[in-house]
Formats: sequence, structure tokens, C-alpha cells
Amino acid sequence: MPRFPLPPEPPRRLPRRTVLRRLALSAGGALALPGLLACGRDGGRGRGSGATGGGGGEGKGPLVISNWPLYIDPSREGVPGSVERFERATGIAVRYSEDQNDAAAFFAKIQPELEAGRTLPQDLFVTTYWMAQRLIDLGWLEPLPLAEVPNRRHLNAELRKPSWDPSERFSLPWQSGISGIAYNLEATGRELQDVDDLFDPKLRGRVGFLTEMRDSIGLLMLADGQDIRRPTYGAAEGAFRRLEQAKADGQIRAFTGNDYQDDLLSGNFAACVAWSGDVAQLALEQPKLRFVVPRSGGLLWADVMVMPRGARHRREAAAWMNFVYDPPEAARIAAAVHYISPVQGVQTILAADPATARLSASPLLFPDAAMRERLQVFGPLSAGEEARFDERFATIVGA
Amino acid sequence: MSGSRRSWGPEVSWLLLAPGLAWLLGLFVLPLLGLLPLSLAEPLGRFSLRFRFTGRIDNYSEVLQHYGPLLLRSLLVAGLATALALLISYPLACFIAFRGGRWRPLLTGLVVIPFFTASLVRMIGWTTLLADRGPLLGLLRGLGLVMPLEVLGLLHDGRLLNTTPAVVGGLAYNAVPFLVLPLVVTLQRVGVSLLEAAADLQAGPWITLRRVIWPLSKPGLAAGLTLSLVPTVGDVINPQMLGGPNDRLIGNALQNLVLVQRQLPRSAALTVVLMALLALLVLFGLRGGSRDDLPLP
Repeated sequence: MPRFPLPPEPPRRLPRRTVLRRLALSAGGALALPGLLACGRDGGRGRGSGATGGGGGEGKGPLVISNWPLYIDPSREGVPGSVERFERATGIAVRYSEDQNDAAAFFAKIQPELEAGRTLPQDLFVTTYWMAQRLIDLGWLEPLPLAEVPNRRHLNAELRKPSWDPSERFSLPWQSGISGIAYNLEATGRELQDVDDLFDPKLRGRVGFLTEMRDSIGLLMLADGQDIRRPTYGAAEGAFRRLEQAKADGQIRAFTGNDYQDDLLSGNFAACVAWSGDVAQLALEQPKLRFVVPRSGGLLWADVMVMPRGARHRREAAAWMNFVYDPPEAARIAAAVHYISPVQGVQTILAADPATARLSASPLLFPDAAMRERLQVFGPLSAGEEARFDERFATIVGA
Repeated sequence: MSGSRRSWGPEVSWLLLAPGLAWLLGLFVLPLLGLLPLSLAEPLGRFSLRFRFTGRIDNYSEVLQHYGPLLLRSLLVAGLATALALLISYPLACFIAFRGGRWRPLLTGLVVIPFFTASLVRMIGWTTLLADRGPLLGLLRGLGLVMPLEVLGLLHDGRLLNTTPAVVGGLAYNAVPFLVLPLVVTLQRVGVSLLEAAADLQAGPWITLRRVIWPLSKPGLAAGLTLSLVPTVGDVINPQMLGGPNDRLIGNALQNLVLVQRQLPRSAALTVVLMALLALLVLFGLRGGSRDDLPLP
């Protein structure tokens, strides 16, 4: 079993302080999550060209991949990272950009091009699950060349028929994660277990929620006993009201993107809604940080790889997807990003290396059965419903 | 001099005007005019950039109803921030103009130096400064000022960050150079000799300020207030990083309308309303000071 060098220190993902989310806005599921990712809609609604990829074609130039920042195993100190290893192994040149800072902003950028029928420079990009669903519904994605990705057999079986892509033709999972509650034990003075704890008057003005609507509202809907797999505006009413009241009371200090990490570390937040991988990394340097999936449930999400309509390097993109699904490669990525790998066997590989054995025991990277039972994916919203959710939520976060 | 000016002819004047005019027309006036039909249109679909012009005036009534209070609040916060910036800038500009001497260029440069860094970096600096365990709050605690400031409403639950005063402070900080620079230029033209003349006529410092410096500084004041107030109203980063959920301004609403909700006609309507308000402010509110009526060479 090859040992793979880890970074000399924990791979912090703080530096880009953008309001925007970097990794995680997503949902969906990767890991062994029986039943969670089952199809929530009827059949495929995508209008992409042809089942085996009619659009696009062979193109010159490098394979262009776009991803969230710091969401891969990087090259460092002479040790080649994922991209470099891929280039060496296949001879395919890659232009890898970390320009996915915010799913909504990225959509605003690509919308004029795709609506006008033009092609994007990207052959493949990683986006969040609900954005993938929107792009599929708009017919702006190419079916993936799945036949050329044999390593897909290593994917967790529970990843089949995700609710955002029930036809399984347009997306493949990159990483997954959990939205739950992070807290600083020093600041709270006690362990937290429930969403109700975020509304404890003792934490007034030191609680953060995410600007990602599905995570913040979804967590409150779960606490309200609602089924977020089939969300409706009516079912979310209680969650919206609770959030509005908390904002009016001064309970909520701020709605943030991934910059909640700074607030947690600096002590500005005692507790907040957070993403599992971030906290897994932060806890390495601040042992008093905790992440908990509330007893009422947490959200499971996924970031997925998709191919925009007219992508030029289908074969090369397939080679890349096949490469990152090779279990040792997937293990390297998981060790670097601390999110949940979609590939089977990663835990075993990490456990076999003393340098990464501790990661293999982390429930945030490999949720146990008890945690899995409490996780749900925020289900698809129709365009009209999504508009109502977004408008109400925007009013609350003050935007 | 006047002879050479006459020999230019109108074509030279147009030539001089052409780059600025092309820039203004192409990149400002035309896009702005494009907002007007968009603000009265309806999208063909939820995620479509194709619009049907229907003269939908409801776009305006909806944004005024929904964002009216936020619009007023934004103007109020921007006004407060500009006033605070003026309190800081005016004495500073007087000092640089009248007492700066040979250090004047250096002092003026020092005002601008922080702005060599990106605004986002400066705001991150502010969050560190104002953090709950940050140096400023530590100092206030050490001086026993937390309770008095809490009573005055400058602290909320013992914190500075993510409060309205933090937003006002951050906006004022950004506005200071835009006020100082035009004021220094204007006050330099006033010159020390007028101050000496005022002193010869037995005018004390207060009378000199009120009767000599202030009236003559109005052109610089008008320019500075315009330069600082207008961008302050639409600031996005500052309220996002220094404010709480109740401190967002109209710029944040516009950002959300455009990027998240993708309601472009409504965002166009809101932009038109905002720009009309600002134009009115600039045209009427500041008109008195905008005339360059300095009786100086």
C-alpha cells in the first residue's frame, strides 16, 4: 500500500475570505447513506443532447476544470498533487482553476453564455447539488461519458439515483459533507445537542447562521419535524418565523458564508450552523471546537462534477473522472480536504497509513450508522417554490 | 494665452472632449438607459435573460414597498457615516493645508496609503480590530468604558463587531480620503494670507473658520461629500463584514436580487430609484456648494 505524503500541517481552508461559499453549499449524499439519496422525482428531466453525448466534440488545448478553492490534493514541496499526477499518468494537459467561489455568482456568469447557445471555456466544473439540478432542468449540461469512467464502480452504492439527477446521466459526486452545528466549548460552557441550543438566551448575539438558504432553513425545518426531502413553502413557515424572531431578538449575530470559520476561531461565534469538513480541519488547531449533528437531524449535501453543454474535451474529462475515482487518488483528496469521499475503500486506505489513521476514525469523514440515520438531503424545489424561499430568506438575512 | 485659446477652434475642443465623452456615453449613459426598459419588463422564464417589455410599472411599486425602508435606512446610515467622516476630515484637511508646510505632500500621501490595499483586506483588518477578543474592545474593557458605551448604544451586548456603529465607522473610514483630498486642494487655494488678514481684522479662530474658511471651502466640500456619500449608500462589503443581519444596506439587497434571486427587472427598477434619489441629492442638496466661487486668481 503506497504511503502518500500529507501536508506538513493541517490544510487550512481559511484564506479566501469571501462571502461566498467555497465548498459546500450543497447537499446530497455520498457515503453509505441507505435510502437517503433515492430519487425524489420522476425520471430525468434534463434536456441535454443525446444519451451518450451528442454535443461537444474533440477539442484542442488543455482540459479545463473549474472547482472550489482548496478542494483538492495540491502539489506541494516537490510532491505532485492530484492534477500533476493525472497529467503525468495520462499525458493530458489540464488547466485547473479554483474559481468557484459562489454557486449563484457562477450561475450569473455562465447564464448569458449558455442561454445564447455558446460554449463555456470549462469542460468540467464542480458545483453544488441544487445548482446541478437547475442546470439539468435548463438543459444546459451534457450527459457525462459514463462508459469511459470504469472506476465509477468504486462509488458508494447509495449514490445511485440522487434526487437532483435521478437519471444519473449528468452529474457525478465530487465530495459530500454535512451541515450541522459547530460550537466552541469554551464559549458555550456546555455541550450542544439540539437546534434549540442555538436559541439559548445565554448565547445571545454569538450565534451564526449560514447565508445558504437550504442549510439554515433545512436545519430548522428538521427541528420542526418537517420532511426536507420534499420541501414545501408551507412546511418551511415555522422555520422562517423562528429565524425572523431570532434575528429580531438579536440572538443571531450574523449570516455568513464560509467566513464563519474565522468567527468560530476568534470567539466571535459561540455556535453556528457549519459544514463538517471545515470543522474537521479547524478542530485540528482548536481542540475545543465541536461539530454535532442535532438529534432532530442534519443535512447531507454533495458537490458534483458536471459537463456544460458543448464541452470540448469529453474523453479527457472522462479520464479525469476515472482518475479521481481510483481509490488511492480519492484517499489523497479526502486526506487533503477532510470532506466525505464518494469512493469506497478510502477509509481502509487512510487507516493503513499511520499519518492518516486518525482521519479514518473521524465520523465527519466517515459518518457512522447512528449519524447517518439523522441525515437528510434537502429535496428539489420547483423554480417557483425556490423563488419564494429565496425571497423570504433574503428578507431575513437582510439582503 | 487667450490668443492661443482662440486659435484652438471647436474641433480641438471636441477632440479634447471625445475620450471622456465616449467613455461616459458608452459605459455609463447607454447602459443606464438600458436599465429603464428592463425595469418595466418581465422575464420570459424564471432563469431567462430574455425579457418582454410590458410596461410593468408594478416593478417599481413592488421594490418601493419591499425595499423602501431599507433605502431610507441606507441613506441615513450613509449620511451618518459621511458626517462622521467630515468631522474627522475637515480639521485634518485644515491642518494639512495651513500647517502642513513642506510636509504637505507627505501628509496627503499618508491619508491615501491605506487605500493602496484592497477594500476587502481593509475590512478584514477592521474585523480583527473590532473582534470580541480584539484590541479595541480589550482597551475599552481596561478603561471601564464598556457599560457607558453600551448605554450610549455604541456597543451591543458588549460587542462592537456586527453592529450598526461598526458599519458607520467602517463606511466613514472609507470616506475620509474622498473628503480630505478635495478639501486640501480647496483650502490650499484659500491660503494662509487670508487667515492672516482675518487675524489682522481682529477675527478670532471661530470667526475665521465660520466667516472665511468654511465659505471658501464649499466647492471642495461639495466635491468631497459627493464623492463620499454616493458610493457609501451602495456599499456592499462593509455592511456584510462589519454589520449584523439588521445592518445590511441597499447594495446588499441589489446584490441578492441580481445574483441569488435573479430578478433582473426588479433589480433594474431598484437601481433606477436609487440613482434618481442620489442624483436629486447631488443636484439639489449639494448645489449650493458646487459653484466654484472662490474670488481668487
